Amino acid sequence: MPRQVSHYLSSGNLARLGFQDTEVAAATLGELGSPSSPLVAILGRTADPDMALQTLARLHVAAPDPGALLSALEEDEGTAMRLLSVLGMSEALGDHLVRHPEQWHELQDPTLGSTRPPAFAVRAGLIRAVGGDPQDAEPTATVPYAEAADALRVEYRRVLLRLASRDLAHHVGMDDVAAELAELAAGTLDAALAVARAKVGPESATCRLAVIAMGKCGGHELNYVSDVDVIFVAEAVDAGDETAALRIATQLAATLIQVCGDHTREGTIWPVDANLRPEGKNGPLVRTLASHRGYYERWAKTWEFQALLKARPVAGDLELGQAYVDSIGPMVWEAAGREGFVEDVQSMRRRVLDHIPAHEAQRQLKLGAGGLRDVEFAVQLLQMVHGRTDETVRASTTLSALADLTSGGYIGREDGRTMHEAYSFLRTFEHRIQLYQLRRTHVVPEDADSLRRLGRSLGHLKYPESDLEKDWRHHRREARRLHEKLFYRPLLAAVARIPGDEARLTTAAAQERLAALGYVDPVAALRHLEALTSGLSRTASIQKALLPALLSWFADAPDPDAGLFGFRRISDALGSTPWYLTMLRDEGETAQRLAQVLATSRFATDLLEREPEGVKILGGEGALRPASREAVQAEMMANVSRRDTAEEAVRSIRAIRRRELLRISAADLCVPFGVAEVGYALTDLTDATLEAALAIATTSVERERKRDLPTRMAIIAMGRYGGYEMGYGSDADVMFVHDPHEGADPQVASSMAVAVANEVRRLLAQPGTDPALEVDADLRPEGKQGAMVRTLDAYAAYYAKWSAVWEAQALLRAEPVVGDPGLKQRFAELIDPLRYPEGGLSHHDLVEIRRIKARVEDERMPRGADPATHFKLGRGGLADVEWTIQVLQLQHAGAVPGLRTTKTLEALDAAVAHDLLSDDDAETLCEAWVLASRARNATVLVRGKPSDQLPTDPRERAAVARVLGYEPGETTEMVNDYQRATRRAHAVVDRVFWQD
Amino acid sequence: MGKQEDFVLRALEERDVRFVRLWFTDVLGYLKSVAIAPAELEGAFTEGIGFDGSAIQGFARVSESDMLAHPDPSTFQILPWRGDGPATARMFCDITMPDGSASYADPRYVLKRTLQSAAEKGFTFYTHPEIEFYLFKGQPEAGTIPVPVDQSGYFDHTSQSHGSDFRREAITMLEAMGISVEFSHHEGGPGQQEIDLRYADALSTADNIMTFRTVVREVALGQGVWASFMPKPFTEHPGSGMHTHVSLFEGDRNAFFEGGAEYQLSKTGRHFIAGILHHAAEITAVTNQWVNSYKRLIGGGEAPSYISWGHNNRSAMVRVPMYKPNKGQSTRVELRTIDAACNPYLAFAVVLAAGMKGLENEYELPREAEDDVWSLTDRERQALGLQQLPKTLYEAILVAEKSELLAETLGEHVYDFFLRNKRQEWEEYRGQVSAFERDRMLPVI
Repeated sequence: MPRQVSHYLSSGNLARLGFQDTEVAAATLGELGSPSSPLVAILGRTADPDMALQTLARLHVAAPDPGALLSALEEDEGTAMRLLSVLGMSEALGDHLVRHPEQWHELQDPTLGSTRPPAFAVRAGLIRAVGGDPQDAEPTATVPYAEAADALRVEYRRVLLRLASRDLAHHVGMDDVAAELAELAAGTLDAALAVARAKVGPESATCRLAVIAMGKCGGHELNYVSDVDVIFVAEAVDAGDETAALRIATQLAATLIQVCGDHTREGTIWPVDANLRPEGKNGPLVRTLASHRGYYERWAKTWEFQALLKARPVAGDLELGQAYVDSIGPMVWEAAGREGFVEDVQSMRRRVLDHIPAHEAQRQLKLGAGGLRDVEFAVQLLQMVHGRTDETVRASTTLSALADLTSGGYIGREDGRTMHEAYSFLRTFEHRIQLYQLRRTHVVPEDADSLRRLGRSLGHLKYPESDLEKDWRHHRREARRLHEKLFYRPLLAAVARIPGDEARLTTAAAQERLAALGYVDPVAALRHLEALTSGLSRTASIQKALLPALLSWFADAPDPDAGLFGFRRISDALGSTPWYLTMLRDEGETAQRLAQVLATSRFATDLLEREPEGVKILGGEGALRPASREAVQAEMMANVSRRDTAEEAVRSIRAIRRRELLRISAADLCVPFGVAEVGYALTDLTDATLEAALAIATTSVERERKRDLPTRMAIIAMGRYGGYEMGYGSDADVMFVHDPHEGADPQVASSMAVAVANEVRRLLAQPGTDPALEVDADLRPEGKQGAMVRTLDAYAAYYAKWSAVWEAQALLRAEPVVGDPGLKQRFAELIDPLRYPEGGLSHHDLVEIRRIKARVEDERMPRGADPATHFKLGRGGLADVEWTIQVLQLQHAGAVPGLRTTKTLEALDAAVAHDLLSDDDAETLCEAWVLASRARNATVLVRGKPSDQLPTDPRERAAVARVLGYEPGETTEMVNDYQRATRRAHAVVDRVFWQD
Repeated sequence: MGKQEDFVLRALEERDVRFVRLWFTDVLGYLKSVAIAPAELEGAFTEGIGFDGSAIQGFARVSESDMLAHPDPSTFQILPWRGDGPATARMFCDITMPDGSASYADPRYVLKRTLQSAAEKGFTFYTHPEIEFYLFKGQPEAGTIPVPVDQSGYFDHTSQSHGSDFRREAITMLEAMGISVEFSHHEGGPGQQEIDLRYADALSTADNIMTFRTVVREVALGQGVWASFMPKPFTEHPGSGMHTHVSLFEGDRNAFFEGGAEYQLSKTGRHFIAGILHHAAEITAVTNQWVNSYKRLIGGGEAPSYISWGHNNRSAMVRVPMYKPNKGQSTRVELRTIDAACNPYLAFAVVLAAGMKGLENEYELPREAEDDVWSLTDRERQALGLQQLPKTLYEAILVAEKSELLAETLGEHVYDFFLRNKRQEWEEYRGQVSAFERDRMLPVI
């Protein structure tokens, strides 16, 4: 026998044609009487030849006229293509055919390839299926309920089958497929209503009920399987009893929902979702027109108006439905003028992006950035912004609206085209995924078989999986950049002539859009755009390409206007510098960081403006990690050794410090970064700076006095510096100590040490382009009256004789950091017994500390400062928390070595570990302390100058909230959270420190 | 600009409105008003009207005083008491900061926030206040005892009585402003009146109470008498309270109702009451915010002073009214502590928050007080675990200062200001020498 098998049915040929399991295929083909070669080739071009063939075999068995089936396939290529392409794509429709084998004849209809089924005919067929009269204004089913539900399902699938064959075999455009699906849904709703009328009974004639489709069905762009969104409107007939009519209408609506959604022997059609109605789930299912109006006039939110864009009467009383659309529709176009529109839109967009389960994010077609929802949303937003004044952009279908917006100049032509392609591709892809099992899903499957089938269905017969992946990646990338393309790029067209774009955004429309995107001064913004894009230089053309992305990043930051202005100034300075242009051209993370920094932080922007080259720091992998103290110090020392004068040397180390400050602040703004880490980084940087400055000052004094320094020097960090808790605005609190060499003249040693200390302070504080570092030595013994530098022995003598408890307290934060290692060590040994007293605090000392604290609270608080939001001295603020833990340290560090630390948080942990503080209390104190420290840093970053008070300027306050991670519009919530955290901490301080 | 704003702007034209009063409420519950010309209203809708928040009790510090009032067009009403001629209209406002975030100092926002968090759990909060007040002859003068307009008592009807004229005019005016009145009568004290507003969602009710107080005082002035909501103007006569019926709805279903349960009161209802009782002492400083409020709560009559609940028990702090068959939708509980001199936004917010805490933590409802709480002996009350409400403003402040619930609900700003202000009131009061002391001591010592 094998010899007689035709060559085209050999394993090799079947495999070449696309069959996977060639043995089974050959056997099945044999059972079917070895179809002709062309027919097998058609099978081979289907999405899944094996599935197509197996289902065909099942259909062959089930069909009442198996012979006719096979001969029709052999004789009419059209029939073969239609039937087999469906069988090769959709398991669910294949099963349906096997259950209703007579329906294969449907696909013999030659008009399927050329003619779109008229909506009225589809509707008539569906209504007849349940025994209604399509001519009747209010058709009523005559078939009993359960049978009617089944009949409706069978008829629905019959039409769906025809539609799927048009889609798969005749390559009808995605927009047409979606529109036909919407019409099928509309007819189905009407037929379901006829069934509902029969069930509710004659009373149903007392009310007029209209079904308004919303969402994709309303927009003529339905999926194969999705919820059908509707709203119900009802009135009494002839001004009858409204309450009774609404009751009947509600029964009708509820029954309609059941008819469509119930699972019967014939499965289900789709769920009807009425949750877009006023008040959502909690609102009544059916309302009168007046009640709908009343709701939209009073209560509706921006997203509800956006949903109305798609409203379309589809079933029931069409006249009433039209009245609804006429009455409510115009409100859509006023929504964009509503207060809070911009904020609403932003938060809606965030919702689009938020709700994706992480494991699906990569394979989601609908949600996420660049997902279908995002595209639809962006188009609708543009419609709402511009449709107010331009009626030509009010179409309810996404692709039509996109085309209208493009021809109106609101979107660039090229961008409009790529968005159209991307959207069509993603939707078609989604359709094919859903067709397989007629399941509502928007996730791209991961298994090889599915991907192969999908790839082949989209025409990639040769390398289905890899070509599909490539296409998908391409379109997804285009769609991801849709905000640039749709929102921002046209803005450039408004100021700069972009060749090829005939229609362009008018200046007024551009300003409207900038305002809707959050720019406070659209006029100035347009002026900057013009300056940045004018001319034919390379810079201008690169900036033209980059600006759409930048504008969108600015718009997501607290101060878009400042971002754009800052960018303009940096660009003016760096202009045509090659590396800058390269950086911009690559558009990568660096540019995004630059945008974020410029539109958020005056502090960092100031640093950048002093030296635009600093932009480099933002680039590169790992560039935003603070450098180690050793690395910075080595670089500073190397620089110092190359300079001749102290001034030059200190300039070079201050430049390095400026660069590192920029690095730390940019890292703080761009990557997740703890407040403790900021403290460490700033402290390390200060250490390195002081070490280098000490070296410079020593050389300078030695040179001036023409002799070597006859003493060892060290610098002791105090306060927040000593605690590794510096903020951006912190001075360096220090004490200087020296220790003359054996046999040195104490007078000379002392005078030279003082000179060195003063030189350190002078050099770091002198005015210059780079930020100064104030070195503050006021915490030294006797304060401002005391000697700037003392010998170690003098410190010992002073502390032995005079020391007050507040000095012991200050020493808790003393950390020898710079200078002679041996001296640092001996200084620590000297002060340890003072700050960690063996017997703890005497009652007298405790009272004294409390008294001082009470005085400080009263005196140090600046006039007019708000105690509720003062970071340092406010109630529950930094000082409150620090004094509390410091008292515990003074009392117990003698016995508990864990408490011997200069760091607040470490001390809190140790206190908990040794039962000196409850877990909850420590948690509360820690929370307030961290928040106050973060808020203080954020304030300096935003304002560019040190401050101990939450900014009172509303815009600055909002920016601080953003830096702290709050969303726009949550500023007062941030203040409330701050006050709550500090109030709770204050209560703990009352208990633990004041022992109230 | 939405339809509603359009409607308002049209109405201004059609009704020849010359002034629009923008109303809002300070932290202590005083009504504030700023008048603008109709031409400015459009701007007020889109951008708000700027004002100096530091000039308003409890709103802001001088340094952050720029605030914006945004009129809520759904509250637009023509003021009926300005006679014929050009009309004046009013709207309630929401207060925001210049960056658009809502002001935490705005009592209306306190209530809105609390309503919102209940809405997130699927509930809407309805209230129905019974507002009592006194009518006096003439105007109040420092140091003199006011004279009531009549000597009638509870439900008394006397022909041509001042009170009934007054109530008729006041009710006509309230109805003209869209505020439905359910019931009105002469109360127990001489010159004392009661008018009950229809139940509505708590935000509307609070707005209505603010309007009500204004209308009542306007009408009184028009009739040459003086109206006051002072909680206890006389030692010997009953005080003026604002018994408030409250209920929760889930969609259009009354969540307090459960057919067949005891008193037809659902689990939700029981937890809600338990919440109010559990937090009763903490929230008293808000529901009864004046030194004088506590003189009403001293006992006897209609005002409670113990934390208790009962079915139709008028001595209990929370009363579950008699269930009327087939009226499941009207199942509600009556809170009898609140007085009419409260800030209704804050009072409703804290009551709702306390009730919702009860739901959230499923507090057990304590034993019902079946007897007249007043007639029990101290020992009996102790045995029954009946706690006393704070006896003075000072006691109330002390409890409030420890209340996380109060801070959460009011927001830190209002919480802080309110308690500071109340402490100050108490300090000022503490130093006062009263007629009582003089009457007792001067003759004998």
